[in-house]
Amino acid sequence: GFDNWNVLIIVFTEMRDKLRKWREDNHRNSEQIVDVGEELINEHASKLGDDIWIIYEQVMIAALDCSRDDLAWTCLQELKRQFPGSQRVKRLAGMRLEALEKYEDASKQYDSILQDDPTNTAARKRKISILKAQGKSAEAIRELNEYLEQFVGDQEAWHELSELYINEHDYGKAAFCLEELMMTNPHNHLYCEQYAEVKYTQGGLENLELSRKYFAQALKLNNRNMRALFGLYMSASHIAACPKVNATVKKANVRYAAWATNQINRAYQVSHAMCCVLLKQ
Amino acid sequence: MAEPELLLDSNIRLWVVLPIVFITFLVGVIRHYVSILLQSDKKLTLEQVSDSQVLIRSRILRENGKYIPKQSFLMRKFYFNNQEDGFLKNTKRKVVPPSPMTDPSMLTDMMKGNVTNVLPMILIGGWINWTFSGFVTTKVPFPLTLRFKPMLQQGIELLSLDASWVSSASWYFLNVFGLRSMYSLILGQDNGADQSRIMQEQMSGAAMAMPADTNKAFKAEWEALELTDHQWALENIEEELMSRELDLDGMFSQELPTGIF
Repeated sequence: GFDNWNVLIIVFTEMRDKLRKWREDNHRNSEQIVDVGEELINEHASKLGDDIWIIYEQVMIAALDCSRDDLAWTCLQELKRQFPGSQRVKRLAGMRLEALEKYEDASKQYDSILQDDPTNTAARKRKISILKAQGKSAEAIRELNEYLEQFVGDQEAWHELSELYINEHDYGKAAFCLEELMMTNPHNHLYCEQYAEVKYTQGGLENLELSRKYFAQALKLNNRNMRALFGLYMSASHIAACPKVNATVKKANVRYAAWATNQINRAYQVSHAMCCVLLKQ
Repeated sequence: MAEPELLLDSNIRLWVVLPIVFITFLVGVIRHYVSILLQSDKKLTLEQVSDSQVLIRSRILRENGKYIPKQSFLMRKFYFNNQEDGFLKNTKRKVVPPSPMTDPSMLTDMMKGNVTNVLPMILIGGWINWTFSGFVTTKVPFPLTLRFKPMLQQGIELLSLDASWVSSASWYFLNVFGLRSMYSLILGQDNGADQSRIMQEQMSGAAMAMPADTNKAFKAEWEALELTDHQWALENIEEELMSRELDLDGMFSQELPTGIF
């Protein structure tokens, strides 16, 4: 009776809050979103109020990820009914066509958005994603470059471009993109680490030195970044082993590598201790 | 010259002074909401969006350029400031001064501006003058010369009356400017009821134009970037890092946090 009702309310608010948290953190746990979102929409639509529209959008995108076209179609219809002629809804319709691999139709959809509003960045980015999905990486790279010429501040795009370049093994240009990201996000240790990895892959003494420095920076920003720690060790050892290097530099790098080894051992000890604790439980 | 103080009928206070304050205030609030309704959407062109982002990038380069290698910083500085084809140096945007002739939307904006601001002021000022005429409303606390008499004592034909005594129309104008701070309190900073601010804008608005701003902004960025040098933040990073042990607290907890691998 009354208790059941209370439990339902609590469950409902929990589900809604979970969805909001995933939305704000930009999580892509699509299966979970579909589970929670579908139940929320089917059982508790009336309680959601105006929140329901943004939940429809969130669930639709997750449904496309999970190949749930039925659910995606329902969400899309509701949104179309509520917001006729909206460009945001048009973009969602285009994404559904992409999920069904109807790339031509999706492209036409995005072109119509761009006719009305040439500054619409979302539509342009979807068109580039279509090229990527079709495996046309060279074209995707070219289009993305043109996009970035006009919208230099779009960090998501810079990151996407760096990934595309890495796939094409064009490490110099990937490094350029990562530099843009490091400047706009100086405290993000992941960008420093990725940059260091690209420099390490490029090879050569100068790049190895840079890579060591940026692994160190990543570690400084986040002491627990194990990848950066291993990267620091490897770049320092690599430089120390290089025949062209002079004695002072070699000595310094040996010292750095030793320090890194030390820290790695400490980390293993911590993990060993943690394992013992877990096993005892 | 000692003057016998005029004693005003207290009805004047009740039925003239307060209503005028009230009316002015209400008209201001109405004007604010009407200006919101009549507001035309300012649509930014692609070029404006693009330019603003370029300026941001240049600023970020100046501020955070120390986080990227020297070579990369110089490459970007060269791109922006190069003598022959630097972006900031050579890009000139077409400066179109927004005059009513060339830009039809400017014309409608001006009309809207006039309708919401000047017209009500004239109408209500005139109405107050007509309704509350023939008597003195209040006294300004500082002495005025005789020259102010025809202006401030409209409708009162008394030669010997001290110029400090003013009519209701002047009280109305006093209110229009005096209630500005009240409007900021109640309607927030950028409100459409701020008469004097709008008049100020109209006077200086003719000189300022968005396109000219872009060219000036580019020039300012160019100068600032010329002066910026590269001080690499990672110069002694290894020593800084290795001065102490790594803080591995909470590294391997039940829930593996993101960002370790």
